[in-house]
Amino acid sequence: MSEDGIDPISLEIAWNGLKSIADECFTAIMRSAFSSNVKERHDHSTAIADARGRLVVQAEMALPVHLASMGGMMKELLALYAGDIGPGDIFIANDPHVAGGTHLPDINMAAPVFEGDRLVGFIANIIHHADVGGAAVGSMSGGLDEIYKEGLRIPLMRLYRRGKCDEDLLRLLLLNMRLPDERRGDLNAQIAACRLGEGRLQDLLKVHGAARMDAIFDAVIERTQLRMRKAIASLPDGTYRFEDMMDDDGAGTRDIRIVLAITKSGEEITFDFTGTDPQVKGNFNLTWNATQSAICYSLKALLDAEIPTNQGIFDAIRIIAPAGSFVNCVAPAAVAMRANSCQRVVDCVLGALAPVVPTQVVAAANGANTSAVFTGTDPATGKMYVYLETLGGGMGARYARDGKDGVQVHITNTSNLPVEAIELEYPLRVEEYSLIPDTGGAGRQRGGMGIRRVIRPVAHTCEFNGVGERFHHAPWGLFGGAPGASGRFYLLASDGERTPLSSKATRIALCEDTCAVIETPGAGGYGKPEERALSAIDADLQAGKITLQEVRTNYSQWMEFPLPSS
Amino acid sequence: MENWIVGCDVGGTFTDFCAREMASGRTVIHKRPSTPDDPSRAVLNGLKELAQLHDIDPAAIGRFAHGTTVATNALLQRKGAGVALVTTRGFRDLLEIGRQARPLIYDLQVDAPAPLAPRHLRFEIDERIGPRGEVLRPLHDADIDALIEAIRAQPDVTAVAVCLIFAFINPDHERRIAEAIRAALPQVFVSVSSDVQPEFREFERFSTTLINAFLQPEVSGYMARLEAEVKTVAPEAEFGIFQSSGGLMSVQRAGQFPVRTALSGPAAGAVGAAGSGASSGIGDVITLDIGGTSTDVCLIRDGKTALASTRDISGFRIRLPMVDIHTVGAGGGSIAQIGGDGLMKVGPESAGAVPGPACYGKGGTLPTVSDANVILGRLPIQLAGGGLTIDRDLAVRAVEPVAQQLGVSLEEAALGIVGIANANMSRAIRVVSIEKGYDPRLFTLMPFGGAGGLHAADVAKSLGMKRIIVPLTPGILCAEGLIMADLQEDFVANCRSIVTEAAIPQLRAECAGLVDRALDWLAQEAVGDAAQTMHLSFDMRYFGQNYELAVPVASGTGTITCPDAATLREAFLAEYRRSYGHCDPDGTVETVNLRLRATARLTQSAAKGAPQATSVAERQFVPVWFDRTGPAQTPILARAHLPAGTVLPGPAIITQLDSTTVVPPDATVRVDGALNMIMELADV
Repeated sequence: MSEDGIDPISLEIAWNGLKSIADECFTAIMRSAFSSNVKERHDHSTAIADARGRLVVQAEMALPVHLASMGGMMKELLALYAGDIGPGDIFIANDPHVAGGTHLPDINMAAPVFEGDRLVGFIANIIHHADVGGAAVGSMSGGLDEIYKEGLRIPLMRLYRRGKCDEDLLRLLLLNMRLPDERRGDLNAQIAACRLGEGRLQDLLKVHGAARMDAIFDAVIERTQLRMRKAIASLPDGTYRFEDMMDDDGAGTRDIRIVLAITKSGEEITFDFTGTDPQVKGNFNLTWNATQSAICYSLKALLDAEIPTNQGIFDAIRIIAPAGSFVNCVAPAAVAMRANSCQRVVDCVLGALAPVVPTQVVAAANGANTSAVFTGTDPATGKMYVYLETLGGGMGARYARDGKDGVQVHITNTSNLPVEAIELEYPLRVEEYSLIPDTGGAGRQRGGMGIRRVIRPVAHTCEFNGVGERFHHAPWGLFGGAPGASGRFYLLASDGERTPLSSKATRIALCEDTCAVIETPGAGGYGKPEERALSAIDADLQAGKITLQEVRTNYSQWMEFPLPSS
Repeated sequence: MENWIVGCDVGGTFTDFCAREMASGRTVIHKRPSTPDDPSRAVLNGLKELAQLHDIDPAAIGRFAHGTTVATNALLQRKGAGVALVTTRGFRDLLEIGRQARPLIYDLQVDAPAPLAPRHLRFEIDERIGPRGEVLRPLHDADIDALIEAIRAQPDVTAVAVCLIFAFINPDHERRIAEAIRAALPQVFVSVSSDVQPEFREFERFSTTLINAFLQPEVSGYMARLEAEVKTVAPEAEFGIFQSSGGLMSVQRAGQFPVRTALSGPAAGAVGAAGSGASSGIGDVITLDIGGTSTDVCLIRDGKTALASTRDISGFRIRLPMVDIHTVGAGGGSIAQIGGDGLMKVGPESAGAVPGPACYGKGGTLPTVSDANVILGRLPIQLAGGGLTIDRDLAVRAVEPVAQQLGVSLEEAALGIVGIANANMSRAIRVVSIEKGYDPRLFTLMPFGGAGGLHAADVAKSLGMKRIIVPLTPGILCAEGLIMADLQEDFVANCRSIVTEAAIPQLRAECAGLVDRALDWLAQEAVGDAAQTMHLSFDMRYFGQNYELAVPVASGTGTITCPDAATLREAFLAEYRRSYGHCDPDGTVETVNLRLRATARLTQSAAKGAPQATSVAERQFVPVWFDRTGPAQTPILARAHLPAGTVLPGPAIITQLDSTTVVPPDATVRVDGALNMIMELADV
């Protein structure tokens, strides 16, 4: 027996049981949702929280950026409804400013679980819905400058009371969203997952009882916190600083500065963003919860990837983020593209701690959550369509390995939509999907390559909205490694003429004979390029991942000892 | 004249044989160490030994069914052909990007494996087919010629995968390229995506095809050599290779589609389990195959194994119909340790076969699940078959440090290790049952493998399962499955259409096309008057969804036709409701693929002549820990001494050649007419 009253064997088994519930709910949503965004791209998460609203377990495949959002919702839920929560209730919310969310498309649901009349915990889940209304199709366009334009704001509301659905509320929600049938299908998947999780937690309650379950929740959170503190303690004491820039907010503000000072002392760690720029007009602002997500991700990735994701991590860290700043915005700040800014916070944490964890850290990755949205009316059916994609890019180079080419990085890990799925579903043609040579930053270890995707409409004119980052402030290298290439958007006409687009390309009309070209950023290199092994340079040349031009610019050792080139 | 069927399953440690004489049902088994450097040696020597030991005339072996891990190992070790890829212009990196997700979100150091074909061997060719099969950009012969020269210039390339966008709808371009390569470079193996896996979603199709090409030179060479060698011993034997989808195919077909053997071994176990269940009249079974490093589970409903369509093996994605086996890293060799959070963890690290669990005295010192079972008295010191000796002191020495760290008694630590391993195994069963919409309490648990019977009762209890069936020979169920397997082939056609009466003629035509192909195949591969059956299913979804359900719609012998629209719709809604617990009765329903499975039933016979025991022999009693309350005096019984009709109250430990069954105090075992042991658990 340990001091928490649950022996380490029973706790391990009970904990596994809880994880298994979160995983089963995750799978249930993936299988029964309607939208490609969930079924193919897995842009959803599930979790269990205790009666005090603290997150206890998250599904293994849950996304880091969803973590704090579910936690944020629980806090508001209890503040608003404590004492008025009953079996069969399901709560719904999405608002970043009053309901703990991070952006509007992420709709949260939570269902309480009771033993008798004693509240034991909550089953929570979140789906990124492909549209929640607002000024732009997909609710994710750049250039929106207040939250009201970004879509329907849902405060904490009760969707089910004692097992009965509030149809009035549901009708209001669906009326404000494009593609209501798809929304209904996805919301149903969330409801079904809540019910599934409730039943499964009830089964566990039959074994343990509410009092012991409370103790289990406490122990899980406490042990996570201890483990996190132990990992923190492994860092040398000191203050570590880093600054990075966002390109722009799509609404006139350029070079948004994020300033971070990390102070580590014993088992304590503080992330101080004092000096960071104020919140901006465009929709790149971070709510407190979003910033917290990014920091938790970074610490786990750097120190101990196996640390469970729950409240215990939050409890182990301290964050200072001035209200009204870019990393702790207040209403009515617009926030839809917050994933890009989360990536930059991650880069700041990695950059600050790089000197003390040189073997664990990675150079700056593509630093974005590059999104491309194509909308229009299908000439064959006369129906509107929305195709949303987020694209990966380079992963930063590491101490002993090159960065991975063309992959989702850090706080996001969504899948792509297959080319054949796109062309079967939408009147679009994918002309190219490839890695871009010379985009990985040179170094002893090379940074990962960016992705090029070329798409054009078939037999109609459509609209393109793109959001990119690190189009100006390239992903930096580490310890002498060169930066990776920036990203860019441009139009490619059939005669080969190129029209550059901004990194926040809004409502671009795309004629049938014009392609939208999306090029995501590469990633920074690690170590001095002149230390790169000749065999690695040769392999990259052979593979066409770098050109001779790149070799001549960055790898002087090659010119001194030329190998027979292919 | 006798007629023997021999099943031979090659595993990492042992090569198992099971042979049955058709007329008498006489069944014999043989087990010998594998020879991983050249698996065929153990196969050939084992076959000779089997014949000698059991007085089988090799000329009387009519069928030789083979389960192989050659393909799996080639993938795990990345030892295959130098392989090139030919793809549509603009898409040579598609395989490398994959689905653009990384395997572990929080681990910065782990990547998906590099593609089997390096970038400089991924060739693009100018052509493009559109989503309706229309040619958007024609394919030119001059480009094909240039491509062939480029491949010719790469002497290490011995196999080529041809993978074009939308080739599953219009395979013309792929075929032209393949034919040209075959004609110009006859020594090069060619795999074509529209042959290997003609279904939508290019990454999965390309990946499956590339894996096929990677395996082809090695596997087809191995198969042909093995067939020739086996023929020198058993000249009359028809040779069948077991495929991951659960049936046999010819050596020639296996050489063409080696990727279909990637799960050959575990799938045979599931078929053996289905057969054993059937012999006791039990159709709904969940298998629990516990080996040294991992546990495989599979759901069998109504005697049929569940099928999965996608699986990653060693990080490489395969999309083909495969027996749906879920694997977790928990087995007898799984190591117990205290994790970073101070809690006890079991696995996925394993002591493997070498050094193995401490109790086997082969140099292992870390505490494993087997060591815990020894301490609890569940794994007897003397195993029935001899073979391995067990040293309890070594087990104690390994587990003691963990017990001290946790501040618990030795037995409590051992109960903990077993309990955590059981929880991991139960979780695997939840994945194949509850997560797919099946209630495990309505199924019978069938443990097999060396350690299945040690854990079955605990695992069943934790899932609320009431009944366990322990097959007659749990240690060689895979080999037994091989002799029960039928010839089988899966056909698929792409048929994307909304389910309405108007669409039925087109679907019927597609269906008739598949039936024709199946009849051709049966005429070629099925010898004699084998009973033939066909099963028709559709991959269906609600319109607008991007995820399909496999919906069985008809089965029968000879001709089979596509039912009407109302029947299709109903079948889909029922399957949707079963899988997800809800459905929209008014939603528009769409078909995506049409699948036809053809089987040719091979001559079979029920097992007979197994242990004809007389009386229950002298009982030895040992103390066994079933829970924390302390040990119970428990008899150890040899299974060979338990004749049909035996009824035995728990507690008991039942041992046989290579496996042990634990019967807890509140359970009862009876031996049925098929000599399977049926364990009933008390209500909990």
